[in-house]
Amino acid sequence: MTTQTATPLGKKPRLMNKRSGISALERERARTGRVMILPAAILVIAVLGVPIGQAIYRSMEQWDGLTATWIGPSAYTHAFSDPTFWRVMENNALLLLAVPFAVLIPLGIAFLLNEKVPGWKVFRSIYFMPTAISWVVIGMVALRFFAQAGPLDSIFSAFGLGFIHPNLLSNQHQALLAVGITFVWSMVGTNTIIFLTGIATLDPSLSEAAQVDGTNAWQRLIHITMPQLRRFILFSSTLTMISAFTALFSLIFVMTGGGPGYGTTTLEFFIYQNAFGQGQFGYGALLGIVLFVIMAVVGLIQLRLLRVDD
Amino acid sequence: MATVSYIDATCHYSGHPVPAVDGLDLEIGDGEFMVLVGPSGSGKSTALRMLAGLEPVASGEIRLGGEDVSSLSPKHRDIAMVFQNYGLYPHMTVADNMGFALKLRRAPKTERAARVQEAARLLDLEQYLARKPKALSGGQRQRVAMGRAIVREPSVFLMDEPLSNLDAKLRVETRANIVALQSRLGTTTLYVTHDQVEAMTMGHRVAVLKDGVLQQVDTPRKLYEQPCNTFVAGFIGSPAMSLTTAPLVEGGAHIGTTFVPLRPEVTSACRSGFVSTVVLGIRPEAFAVAEGADLSIQVSLVEVLGADSYVHGDIAGHEGKFVVRCDGRLNPQIGESLALSVKPQEVHAFHPETGQRLG
Amino acid sequence: MSTSVETSPLQSPAITPDAQRAAFARRRRLRTGLLLALMTLIAVVMLYPFFFMIETSFKSENQFVNGTGGFSLSSWSQLAQALPWAREMLNSTIVCACAIAIILAVSTTAGFAFAKLRFRMSNYILTGIVAAMLVPIQSIVIPLYVNAAHLHLVNSYFGAVIIYAAIGTPFATFLMTAYYRSLPDEVIEAAIIDGAHYFGVFRRVALPMSIPALVTIAVLQFIQIWDDLLVGLLFLQNPSERTITVGLGALAAGRTTNIPVLMAGSLVSAIPAVVVFLIFQRFLTTGLTAGVSR
Repeated sequence: MTTQTATPLGKKPRLMNKRSGISALERERARTGRVMILPAAILVIAVLGVPIGQAIYRSMEQWDGLTATWIGPSAYTHAFSDPTFWRVMENNALLLLAVPFAVLIPLGIAFLLNEKVPGWKVFRSIYFMPTAISWVVIGMVALRFFAQAGPLDSIFSAFGLGFIHPNLLSNQHQALLAVGITFVWSMVGTNTIIFLTGIATLDPSLSEAAQVDGTNAWQRLIHITMPQLRRFILFSSTLTMISAFTALFSLIFVMTGGGPGYGTTTLEFFIYQNAFGQGQFGYGALLGIVLFVIMAVVGLIQLRLLRVDD
Repeated sequence: MATVSYIDATCHYSGHPVPAVDGLDLEIGDGEFMVLVGPSGSGKSTALRMLAGLEPVASGEIRLGGEDVSSLSPKHRDIAMVFQNYGLYPHMTVADNMGFALKLRRAPKTERAARVQEAARLLDLEQYLARKPKALSGGQRQRVAMGRAIVREPSVFLMDEPLSNLDAKLRVETRANIVALQSRLGTTTLYVTHDQVEAMTMGHRVAVLKDGVLQQVDTPRKLYEQPCNTFVAGFIGSPAMSLTTAPLVEGGAHIGTTFVPLRPEVTSACRSGFVSTVVLGIRPEAFAVAEGADLSIQVSLVEVLGADSYVHGDIAGHEGKFVVRCDGRLNPQIGESLALSVKPQEVHAFHPETGQRLG
Repeated sequence: MSTSVETSPLQSPAITPDAQRAAFARRRRLRTGLLLALMTLIAVVMLYPFFFMIETSFKSENQFVNGTGGFSLSSWSQLAQALPWAREMLNSTIVCACAIAIILAVSTTAGFAFAKLRFRMSNYILTGIVAAMLVPIQSIVIPLYVNAAHLHLVNSYFGAVIIYAAIGTPFATFLMTAYYRSLPDEVIEAAIIDGAHYFGVFRRVALPMSIPALVTIAVLQFIQIWDDLLVGLLFLQNPSERTITVGLGALAAGRTTNIPVLMAGSLVSAIPAVVVFLIFQRFLTTGLTAGVSR
């Protein structure tokens, strides 16, 4: 009988051998892993990574795509002293005012759908469907909708407000409102779906417990439901913000062409105009870096806020 | 068929100060059913996975059929494994699940089909061969996992808690089936479980591990009768052995005020170890209810199992709980006193500091 | 939820339980009716572009400009001339299919490696790739355009395909990594014990198990690429290669065009993406919310 005992005291000298503690399997795993990430890594580095580096470099050049003269970091100070740049940034800032609407309206719609009135799934599909159509199409319809003597005019007259002719698109300061409204409308589908998913994850026992404790519906919404939806609200806000900065190119291209004047020229559209309209590739690259920095900050803030959440 | 030897085999997970398996020496004979048992974190699964090739052998070696396999990939080791959650491929039919290894080895289609059919017959899975795992019950899935191992005709079966996802009744049934199957196939088997009942009922021999260190390896009977230390004594057997520290006196020890005689081997071992106290281990059946005996316990809980009942209680003037097996018809009330005698031949004694068996 | 109806516990004794129940049912019906009305109103707003496109496309230019009613197929008969939609939809299909194929190939392999074949630095590389989601295309489009011009990739499917593939890869890789992380290790170990290589495990076990995730990525990318304007506008300028969205954008930018024809074209261009959406809606939902679920 082999009755073995191991005492904590008398430790046997260990038979150390050449193996480093890494098995053949682990070696194969690491090797296969490195090879398998390679295509994705190469694609991302070559098409997204390298151009960011190039853009940073080119942003400090006077460059038309063919010939370049080095300016240096002063290109940035020069750009920041240009009033047109600030006019464009102002447009972006004003568009951010649409974000709360683009988040809160869908939140309300999600609660409405969550009442699960018979047929709610059909409505869910309908609300979500515009996500499938392109900004180009949306822009074309919106252009007619807000046009002089367009459907918006008809709606106003139908309510006896015919004396208002909200000819938004022809006014430098109101055209952005039309873009903003279209933007809010187009975010409804995505954000509603995000919130519906969020509401589905709610723990009903919390709300029930609060009900037993004698709270009213409003108190439960504010103190029980909303905190549980925090990460969903955060996510949809970030997504909406990123869209406001980077997804409106096609809409503006079709709807207003950036005008009237600089009325609806946002940063992303300004990049396109400078580079491909006026051949100022260097300045376009600089504006691109500004946009990238803003996006990175938004992304990092979201990451930080989610961390705090966990 | 093959023997398996662990020779001072050690596994270190990176970032952990202590090894998961520490200098394991274990011999498994050809055709033997060896069970590794221990609480969670004892290293039993790691030891099994080292043999499978899923965990690295940092030092020492593992031999399979006399050959050092420590640095071979799993696929070169001629082993088959049954996982706790079965690890079935959800997108393949039962037949494809069982035949996957042969397919990878490029076995001819007819041979593959024949071997899958044979395994299915053995496990009573023939009518499920075309189904996907999702459409099977837990017991059937478990059998598919077994079948996948059998089809391989490996030299060693490795089973990692294969019954823990079955309900109690099915588990007992499957336990017997696995034992019967193993003896029929005669394949060397290493079986990991945390359940000492499973270990005792299935293994030819059982290896008890704790904190990555092998405590004892022996037949179930020997483990029960001669546990090598307090850990094994407390781990094997249900309800557990009552362990209590008692002062030594000439020829025995005192529990409370009662003298319990000890075997001469024990007393001589105590003398040579210069100890003044000893840890006594008494199994529930080593007590006998005896009118007028001088050891008495104050009943705190009675578990009636039918034929037997287990009485839990304290002994006046002594630390520790005791469990006593008595006739099921004897029905003591809580708070009552019960007079007991102890069978001296069945009293185990352990060193008070090291916990090692004395005598 | 927020609008639950509360019944008063103090009812006058004259009201029988039956009457009480009837009153309650009436109130519920009323509430359901109000909710339905509100939901219908929102539906009208959301469907408005579709109404507008359909209605306008069946008018002649004159009928539209003068705001008179009427039905005309003239815009549909002029459509092919104004917008070579069949050719352009074929281009869109080719570009989408190739880009999606590349995205799926690189994101599944990388996702599996990041989730299950972790090696030194693999987490940093994953973070790097996922962080690339934050790179706006507008920030890199200028160097990309110049690079592509040097490599003669402007006005070739290949250039646009590679760019679309690269833009879609970070999110797809993120999604696939999350998906493969949820696969039980046991299945992978079982295949290893059965004698597979790690790449074999990926190809024969993990990949077939991840088909729902593949569909999600494909649908999401299809809609995104089909609907994209900027990349197509710059990298597929030739009328013979441009996608339907670019064709439409170019037509719209002309400004003086016939609006019913434009609307007919818009309708045609939107149909494939809307159909894909309606069929695969469920998968799209998973993809959109992948960013928030733990």
